[in-house]
Amino acid sequence: MTKYQKQDISLTAAQQLPLPNFPKVKYASWHLDQLMPVQKAISNAHFLTAEDVGIEILGTQAGHQYLPQELINAGVLVMSIQAAKKDYPQLVQRYLSSVIPADQDRLSAQNLLQYNAGIFVYIPDNVVIQSLLQLVLVQNATTTGDAVQRILIYVGKNAQCTILQQLRTMGEATIKSSTVIEVFLDAGANVQYSAIDALSANTSGYLNRSALLADNAQLNWAQAEFNRGNMVMHLDTMLSGQGAQTHANVMAMVSQKQVQGINTRVSNRGRHTIGHILQRGVILDHAALVFNGVGNIIKGAKGADAQQESRILMLSKKARGDANPLLLIDESDVTAGHAASVGRMNAAQLYYLMSRGLCEKVARRLVIRGFMGPILAQIPHQVVRESIIEDIERQLKDAHQ
Amino acid sequence: MTTLEVKDLHVAIDNQEILKGVNLVMKTGEVHAIMGPNGTGKSTLSQVIMGHPAYRITSGEIYFDGQNLADMAVDARARAGLFLAMQYPAEIQGVTNIEFMRAAINARRPEDDPISVMDFIKKLDEKSAILSMPEEMSARYLNEGFSGGEKKRNEILQLLMIEPKIAILDEIDSGLDIDALKVVARGVNEMKSPDFGVLMITHYQRLLDYIVPDFVHVMMDGRIVKTGGPQLAKKLEAEGYAGLRDELGLDIVLTDENVDAGL
Ligand SMILES: Nc1ncnc2c1ncn2[C@@H]1O[C@H](COP(=O)(O)OP(=O)(O)OP(=O)(O)O)[C@@H](O)[C@H]1O
Ligand SMILES: [Mg+2]
Repeated sequence: MTKYQKQDISLTAAQQLPLPNFPKVKYASWHLDQLMPVQKAISNAHFLTAEDVGIEILGTQAGHQYLPQELINAGVLVMSIQAAKKDYPQLVQRYLSSVIPADQDRLSAQNLLQYNAGIFVYIPDNVVIQSLLQLVLVQNATTTGDAVQRILIYVGKNAQCTILQQLRTMGEATIKSSTVIEVFLDAGANVQYSAIDALSANTSGYLNRSALLADNAQLNWAQAEFNRGNMVMHLDTMLSGQGAQTHANVMAMVSQKQVQGINTRVSNRGRHTIGHILQRGVILDHAALVFNGVGNIIKGAKGADAQQESRILMLSKKARGDANPLLLIDESDVTAGHAASVGRMNAAQLYYLMSRGLCEKVARRLVIRGFMGPILAQIPHQVVRESIIEDIERQLKDAHQ
Repeated sequence: MTTLEVKDLHVAIDNQEILKGVNLVMKTGEVHAIMGPNGTGKSTLSQVIMGHPAYRITSGEIYFDGQNLADMAVDARARAGLFLAMQYPAEIQGVTNIEFMRAAINARRPEDDPISVMDFIKKLDEKSAILSMPEEMSARYLNEGFSGGEKKRNEILQLLMIEPKIAILDEIDSGLDIDALKVVARGVNEMKSPDFGVLMITHYQRLLDYIVPDFVHVMMDGRIVKTGGPQLAKKLEAEGYAGLRDELGLDIVLTDENVDAGL
């Protein structure tokens, strides 16, 4: 573990760190580094119900929380991060900042120092969780006060699970959000990680979801960005051990006046590691979306494979979109490739649907869904897929188009 | 009775004239076939009738039950009772066949009275069985990864589900093996009624053995140059298009004329 040792950092030192770099996104004026982390508990919000396995954090308090007895017996921990710090301080200490170094950038460092809510998940070696594990963070915007939250997940050697993690807002107040998620996959671990981020139009925020993979670990991300406000996001995967693999699937939909910048990076450090980035973005109204895809092959990662494909669909003349692929390769014995495009509605598909009597509005909705299709197809759980489709439909209905 | 009437239709794409005065009348209860060499405008005609946005009508009209189609958008034409089984149907990942067909059926019903799930599934099972299509096909994404033959079958399944008044089938037989051809023909014949008319575009007389036409039209160089009965198709098969052209005294160059098969 010494390799990923946590560094202590002070708030003053954190303020001196640079802001994370989101090329082509100007976000300094959002003042994401000036947080007032005050969150009240919410009692009336529920995204999870009776039999759902997992935990829902409402504001700062754990709401729904359920783990079947056999998982408890197997040593699985799913709890609020405060509870974990109290009951399992060594475990938290061991993995906190093991994926995102404390001094990586100003926003992550501030999160580390200021978070007051979150989730801790610990899955011991060889444990296979069959049920969908749900992790929900609900940010309280019924009154002002910023949400600073953290999720820490450790998946042991050869353990397996499917996670659905959601980020939601209750209330209409203008708040800021800082969410940092660290996922540590030990050797041979296998995780399907779907995320639905749907923060409110009045929330501007920073989201950093990062993972570190040991030998032969495998992580499939499916990240659905349905936030309505201004967001900058990192999806960062370090393929540290040899033979580690990730598919980083990202879909994003932006509308009205919002701006979103998404950096999706995969670093191949281990030999024969495989990292594939696949992104689809839809822009409505006046909104702006930037995909910065980075495939980074580090020296020594012989036999590594880094691929990426990012496509943006612009549905209005005022939409602004950018897909920037970047390959940083420091090793010769590797394979890499990229494709990127920014385009408009597929006319042939639209015509085909309308030729069967579907009105233009419905046909457009289905074509947009079709554009997201390659990502939807990567999501194994039907429940998750349907939930994401619902979010797509909702946002399309709300947009002016 | 519903009538489709094409009147002296001229169509251009990129300022090049493709249809040069097409005249055609068809009614429900009738089976029509159009044959003709490659690139003579058969697909263009079908797409223009459906309302494909890429083609420009430079003169002439198309009437559907007396209503000028120029005033109707693609989806309105479909809801009025027109259907086009396309030569190259689009693929859409993320949208299942089931969902699409249900949306198509519901588009024809009042918004507050969608087809019930039970009725829909029952109808789907029934129609899939006629076409020997496995149930799983409808749960797959729209045409995505379908083989050439499966796409054709799926077009006919939609035809059976939607039950239009007049259908145009563009090369529904191409790429089908012999057994599949019979199955698809069975599907089309299933639709036959006084309230249904069909216009089939085909290159092969064989299809017409299974779906016997009342009228056969021959299209060359953007016009219908001859109309006859089923015998006309047999004659074409035997004599080729050059023979007909010369008989009619037309001044048209056929691309593949005088090619022997090199046997
Ligand atoms: N979208 C288009 N853009 C450019 N040219 C086109 C387009 N559609 C049709 N054409 C041209 O118009 C002519 C007629 O094409 P069409 O597809 O209607 O022929 P067809 O009779 O259906 O041929 P086939 O038997 O090979 O299917 C061809 O020369 C074709 O290249
Ligand atoms: Mg054609």
